[in-house]
Amino acid sequence: MRWRLIFNIVGILTLFLGISMIFPLLFGFHFKDQSIAPLLKSMGITVAAGLLLYLAFRRAEVDFISHREGMAIVTIGWTVVGFFGALPFYLSGEFGPFVDCFFESVSGFTTTGSSILTNIEAVSKGLLFWRSFIQWLGGMGIIVLSVAILPFLGVGGMQLYKAEVPSPVPDKLKPRIRETALVLWKVYALISLAEVIMLMVGGMSLYDSLCHTFTTMPTGGFSTKNASIAHYDSVYFDGVIIFFMLLAGINFSLHYQFLRGKTLVFWRDSECRFFLGAVFFLIVVVTINIYGSVYETIGQALRYAAFQVVSIVTTTGYATADYEMWPAMSQLILLLCMFLGASGGSTGGGMKCIRVMLYLKYCYKELFILIHPRAVQHIKIGGESVPEDVVRSVLGFMGLYIGLFVISSVLLAGMGVDIVTSVAAVAATIGNIGPGLGLVGPTDNFAQMPYMGKWLLIWCMLLGRLEIYTVIILLVPEFWRK
Amino acid sequence: MKVIIVGAGEVGFNIASHLAREDKNVVVIDIDPDAIRRVSDNLDVQVISGSGSNPLILEEAGLKQAEIIAAVTDSDETNLVACLVADIISPATKKLARIRDVGYDEFHDTFREHAPHIDTIINPEIEVVKTIDKLMTIPGAVDVGEFADGLVKFVGIHLDPLTKLDGVRLADISATTGQQAPLIAAIVRNEELIIPGGKDRLQAGDLVYFVSEADKLFKALSVFGKQIETIERVLIVGGGRIGLRLASLLEEKSIYTKIVEKDARRCIVLAEKLNKAIVLHGDGSDQELLREENIQDMDVVVTLTNDEETNIIASLLTKRMGAKNTITRINKLSYFPLMSMIGLEQVVSPRHSAINAILQHIRRGKVLAAISIKDEQAEVMEAVALETSDIVGKPLKRISLPQGVLVTSIIRKNEVIVPTGESVIEPEDRIVIFASRKAIPKIEKILAVKLEYF
Repeated sequence: MRWRLIFNIVGILTLFLGISMIFPLLFGFHFKDQSIAPLLKSMGITVAAGLLLYLAFRRAEVDFISHREGMAIVTIGWTVVGFFGALPFYLSGEFGPFVDCFFESVSGFTTTGSSILTNIEAVSKGLLFWRSFIQWLGGMGIIVLSVAILPFLGVGGMQLYKAEVPSPVPDKLKPRIRETALVLWKVYALISLAEVIMLMVGGMSLYDSLCHTFTTMPTGGFSTKNASIAHYDSVYFDGVIIFFMLLAGINFSLHYQFLRGKTLVFWRDSECRFFLGAVFFLIVVVTINIYGSVYETIGQALRYAAFQVVSIVTTTGYATADYEMWPAMSQLILLLCMFLGASGGSTGGGMKCIRVMLYLKYCYKELFILIHPRAVQHIKIGGESVPEDVVRSVLGFMGLYIGLFVISSVLLAGMGVDIVTSVAAVAATIGNIGPGLGLVGPTDNFAQMPYMGKWLLIWCMLLGRLEIYTVIILLVPEFWRK
Repeated sequence: MKVIIVGAGEVGFNIASHLAREDKNVVVIDIDPDAIRRVSDNLDVQVISGSGSNPLILEEAGLKQAEIIAAVTDSDETNLVACLVADIISPATKKLARIRDVGYDEFHDTFREHAPHIDTIINPEIEVVKTIDKLMTIPGAVDVGEFADGLVKFVGIHLDPLTKLDGVRLADISATTGQQAPLIAAIVRNEELIIPGGKDRLQAGDLVYFVSEADKLFKALSVFGKQIETIERVLIVGGGRIGLRLASLLEEKSIYTKIVEKDARRCIVLAEKLNKAIVLHGDGSDQELLREENIQDMDVVVTLTNDEETNIIASLLTKRMGAKNTITRINKLSYFPLMSMIGLEQVVSPRHSAINAILQHIRRGKVLAAISIKDEQAEVMEAVALETSDIVGKPLKRISLPQGVLVTSIIRKNEVIVPTGESVIEPEDRIVIFASRKAIPKIEKILAVKLEYF
């Protein structure tokens, strides 16, 4: 472990974050609200801290970063960035004690969307913009962004990229990691631009369109309105946002190929088919379940079912209906959606469809082998065999995910939170969804969680966003052994 | 610039690693998932798992946009088919193939003119014999490169532990030795490459790289306390394909050659193909045999068996028994830095030779030759100064060359000029440039950037 190197790169990330505070400042100046002072102060502190780290740990040229260092940089980097991202909230005093600010900031960067705010609309606009903007930064990944625009990460960028985007089957779209990262960000920015335009066409202000786009595309879920998207009560906005949530839940390398003229990629990709099929199936089931019991017309049932299912399964976390008033079956389906999550290589969280698919196929294979004990069989995805070690790593991931979910929810219940809330709060944070059930349902927030519970959930959000291994590995003593 | 490399073995891996560090876009194809994983874990390149001779895989790799495809798998057939398919899909792409079978030797030109139109065929065995030939003439040289058809030599040698140059500043070498000192381009000390200035001091044990005109090489070497000796007697251990090639070459040069081979049947083949060389059946590490064959009178012992451990032992043994010089063949490139520690300075590897040969063909613009030194930390290349290039027509001191770049000689109509700050490079001059790895992309640009307008 070369600590100089680790802190040096973390310094670069911090500096970078400080500079990006210029964007909310612009809105602060535009609206002339009280966010200017805290933003300016935070920007000063963050830039200074970044420079200090960078200069204090200046390094000789590094031509490689080890696998371990990559994981340490990414986890430490995300934590530090979460800390500095919380500064504007803390200095403004509008978000309460520091733990709340840190919670809000990490919830932003990890694109979770769980909030501790009780009255969002009362918060100054500059800060709300920052709150949305950090989701956008976190969505495609702050490390991926730095690899894309900071040339001096060079070769080491590859290890960092792998630690931040640990998809089971890595796609390298271009020969060089820097170009791959750049392409992904370009696609991400392009789709975001399309959404801004679509929202503005529907009559949303530029500010609200930007804020909502910045939280749709990373499947974040922060809204600038207390009632989330329900505030607008518009079929058009519901439709546009459902569409873009689905896009954000699909592997971005498919979008890239689509933009390059391969129009059939979505259909050809088996994970994408699985994802869209699952979404369609769940919408139908929920629609049937809530039609009549909650909503009078089939149209209404479909509209609200579609929005809620897509919002949860893509791990966005917007709401247009209080699904806690729905029948138990629908609520449970939504809870299970939190585990399924979106596609690998998308901005969504959860376990990811690709892993669930692999897991199901693995289970089937086990049964098959019981029937034909001497059969030689490979697990295939899209016609190609999946290597043994990938399958093993996926099984390990599922085990860790469930295990950590169980431990965390028991701990949360131990702090005096009721069963439904504990289970849903942990599922919603570890899957980076946002709202859960019970006390943290779509119409509530995380403000009344116990103090230690907030720290626990912050930890869950980081675990979920960096897909378990990268974070949990830091707790393994072997990792620190020389 | 996009380069496709078929084959992720030692040769493919090293070429990819070299190119990836120079900001080139590299795609590596191999059928073995483990080899592919090794590449994707260590290098910033794109990898594709599949057969390199499969047209679909080649298209997926973006062959049409690729400037060069290098087929360097262990199989001649795969390499040939990969080039053939590449020729059909994308005739404009430059093709390089690594082909080892002797049977193809005569057909290198045929393959260039007819399908599959392979621009360059690299035979590692031919390359390694060339390297041995160059090393043999200069005892103690670690690296010998030739430029401008042999007019300029680039030599790397270790300074003796007792050298009188220990602690002498570069600027004072001429004064200390009373001889004109050659241009020292680089020093390797404790595994690190230093690009020295006049004030830097030499130390005993340094590996010094210098450039010299071929006819002044004798004098240049004497500055460092070495001298060229004429080779009269050579012993080759290992009569494989490389051993046979080397023996035939030495026969042509009328050098008294003995070749030791363990396998009796192979000895019969060798005796059939060789006329003057003495073929001995026996073990290269058999002391009795070596003593009987007057090992102490040998000028050079070249150990070339397929087993590197055997080669190392045989070299150490023969050196101890009085052979003046040894050249050792090893396979694992990672052994290179260890060799000088155990006293074996002249080391060759077919793979290393192949890598060097392939790299020089991948170079952009009018680069005629290139050799890489010291674990690829730097490279020496020969290029034609184009009329449109930035380095032409100005005194050298007014050209802003990137850091780590040294113009070591200018060749104008078969005349070698050692440049000073006042020298002016004229169009069509050939220049030999030393460049550290970081500066290579920049220097390539300087040499070739204007070429793209044509």
